[in-house]
Amino acid sequence: MSSRLPLEGVRVADFTWVGAGPFLTKPLADHGADVIKIESRTRTDPIRSMAPFRDGRPGPNRSGYFANRNSSKRSVCLDLKSPRGKELALDLMARSDVVASNFTPGTMDRLGLGYQDAVAVKPDIVYLEMPMQGNTGPHRDFRGYGLTIAAAGGLLGLTGHPERPPVGTGTNYPDHVPNPLHAAVAVLAALRRRRRTGQGQYIELAQLESTTNVIGPALLAAAAGRRVDRSANEDGAAAPHGVYPCAGEDRWCAVGVFTDQQWQALVEVLGAPEWAAKPGHTTPGGRWAARRELDALVADATSTWEASELADALSAAGVPAAVVSDAAQILADPQLNARDHWKTLEHPEMGSSVYDNIPYRLSETPGHLRGPAPVLGADTRDVCLDLLGLTPDEYEHLAAQGVVG
Amino acid sequence: MNATTPLTPLDGIRVVDLSTGLGTYAGRLFADLGADVIKVEPAGGAPERAVPPLTEGGLSLAFAFTEAGKRSVILEGSDADRAEQLENLLGTAQVLLTSEGPGRLRERGLRPADVTRRHPALVHVSISPFGLTGPWADRPASDLTLLAAGGLLALAGDPDLPPVRAWGNQTSIISGVHAATAALIAVLVLEETGRGQIVDVSAQEAVAHSLENAVQYVDLEQSVRHRVGSGPVEAGTGLFACSDGWVYLVGGLGGLPLAWNAITEWLEGAGVAGAATLREPRWLARDWRRSAEGVRTFRDLFERFAAPRTKRELYEDGQSRGISIAPVSTPDDLLASPQLVERGFFRPMTVDGRTLAFPGSPYRFEGLDVAPGIPPARPGADTRAVLDALPAAARTTAHSKE
Repeated sequence: MSSRLPLEGVRVADFTWVGAGPFLTKPLADHGADVIKIESRTRTDPIRSMAPFRDGRPGPNRSGYFANRNSSKRSVCLDLKSPRGKELALDLMARSDVVASNFTPGTMDRLGLGYQDAVAVKPDIVYLEMPMQGNTGPHRDFRGYGLTIAAAGGLLGLTGHPERPPVGTGTNYPDHVPNPLHAAVAVLAALRRRRRTGQGQYIELAQLESTTNVIGPALLAAAAGRRVDRSANEDGAAAPHGVYPCAGEDRWCAVGVFTDQQWQALVEVLGAPEWAAKPGHTTPGGRWAARRELDALVADATSTWEASELADALSAAGVPAAVVSDAAQILADPQLNARDHWKTLEHPEMGSSVYDNIPYRLSETPGHLRGPAPVLGADTRDVCLDLLGLTPDEYEHLAAQGVVG
Repeated sequence: MNATTPLTPLDGIRVVDLSTGLGTYAGRLFADLGADVIKVEPAGGAPERAVPPLTEGGLSLAFAFTEAGKRSVILEGSDADRAEQLENLLGTAQVLLTSEGPGRLRERGLRPADVTRRHPALVHVSISPFGLTGPWADRPASDLTLLAAGGLLALAGDPDLPPVRAWGNQTSIISGVHAATAALIAVLVLEETGRGQIVDVSAQEAVAHSLENAVQYVDLEQSVRHRVGSGPVEAGTGLFACSDGWVYLVGGLGGLPLAWNAITEWLEGAGVAGAATLREPRWLARDWRRSAEGVRTFRDLFERFAAPRTKRELYEDGQSRGISIAPVSTPDDLLASPQLVERGFFRPMTVDGRTLAFPGSPYRFEGLDVAPGIPPARPGADTRAVLDALPAAARTTAHSKE
């Protein structure tokens, strides 16, 4: 196995903050890119002050929310409003392959750090911005968060029980899945093109557009005049299909029956109750027509089962089934632990804390979490001296003025 | 190719896509970026072609969405012939995409370690429900069960009802974006060193990666997050009913009353009776805003204001005042969105004989057309073109059976 990380030699000037950006640069950092977060002591990344905190005590270096998405990165603090601070940021861009940011449209331009400014110092830069709505259009200046983008982008409205208001995923889904990871795909594809053509690239990822892709089939259905609406856990291709109650409080098992074989197996595991023998239930179409009735009957049969015993028994019999695991169960999950999905890293202020590992493995050039999230400004001096070529005296002078540090 | 035509980002990359529903989105991303993605379907076409909702002609719209830009091939002849054609096809590809567990891959002769031994310059992107290793590697799974096993399902839904899954086949999206990221890292290595490899993507892990801060809450504060309906409970934040649905308002977040004054002025300006009470000092206190009474009092006021107004009216009016408010869009709302329409997000594309507004790419590359390029192919539409271009040995096998 090669000890060299696959993205070694790639440098990222990372201006992203809060939610949507940092999960874009995390996979790059975990695979060897030198990701340098440009931060500020006066306008600290808001996510540094978002819970949870080590032992519940807030502090810029105590947030697990921040830490988990910033492994393997470095942090420098620059005052971008000062001319010298801006110069240093441009110097950093000149030594980078990628610039990424997720501010509102025009912010980087106003700071003198826009695409044209970057190209002037690094002609083949890959430069990505993630405006909420895009850089153009009547709503370009509208503001929002992951939750409002999930609403505006359509996923929230389609998710939930039909007789209740929509619920969505219970998370800022756009910040955690489509926006950062579509952005990672775009940046890597642009790097690949740059290697072939020598050309850089400006990439605009409008978070609204990126997020609507997660309901792409519903948009096509609407375009075709078909109505799609909330349908709880129903599935057009399976019945029974749902989340069924198990023994204990708020314990559930998810089950999906897609084939006759799986139906037979489910019936056997549940002890072949009489209702299962009803002639209408022998075909997928018949089961789907009777899905409401079957849901009630299955729920009645599962309610005495211990959830993990039911999931084990059904899985062994070939039926897709899984315990609805909460965050504590996920940490103890046998499969995730067999695959080392959780990584404990030692952080200077937070001590040992749990990070998500990379959810995939490259057999020959695997990445790994190289270090915990950086303490605010931890690498300013190193970056200024070793990368940007400041002398120790210059650095101390600028630090005293609050330009760096 | 015309010398002035700029190269697409993945020009020259060929992907053989043998994936099921779990893996199809990753291939779609590659196709948008200019790779030649060849979907190899079983005789008669992939079963996913029939998953509802369907076009009038009976084609799955979900399938149409993930297959745009790909070519379709159905291999011909005996089992041995088809295996040989596939081997030859893999010999021309840089990436193989599969989405079944290790047991099933072995049955199909696609064990990743064997594939990459036979084709050392191939990246085998193996998306699978639980990954290629571990005690559950061969467990059966579906979108719903993977959301459950990955921990996302427990965070979603009303507290008094069972947890509820996100609409659509989100595990394909979640696995797909991670798999495409991983695959591109491996492609960079391949083009630098000539070496392929196995990329082992676990859908369960990809889902577990998307739990926001829930795992850190357990680790750092020993508290387990549970489902809370449509959002965090704080006055000024959440879903509010209006004349044609709901809007999502963020008046306070993380305990900070972000847009309180602007919202108060908005309601006062509209003459909402009682709006001035929002100026009482107690609203500055996080505990009051998070109390059941505070939440209810705000809701009554705001919904009185919102009841005669539309989503779009509230969205545009609120945003012009600097308030983070969004419509809870339906698919039809999105098709008519002034923002998406003005930016030309939707592209006309003929799907199953009818021209539909097809959602564009998640990103735009300046100067390049990075987007769903061609409509989904009919089953086997490209078989002849692809097989005829294979090295001679495979062609002979295929044609000798005609």
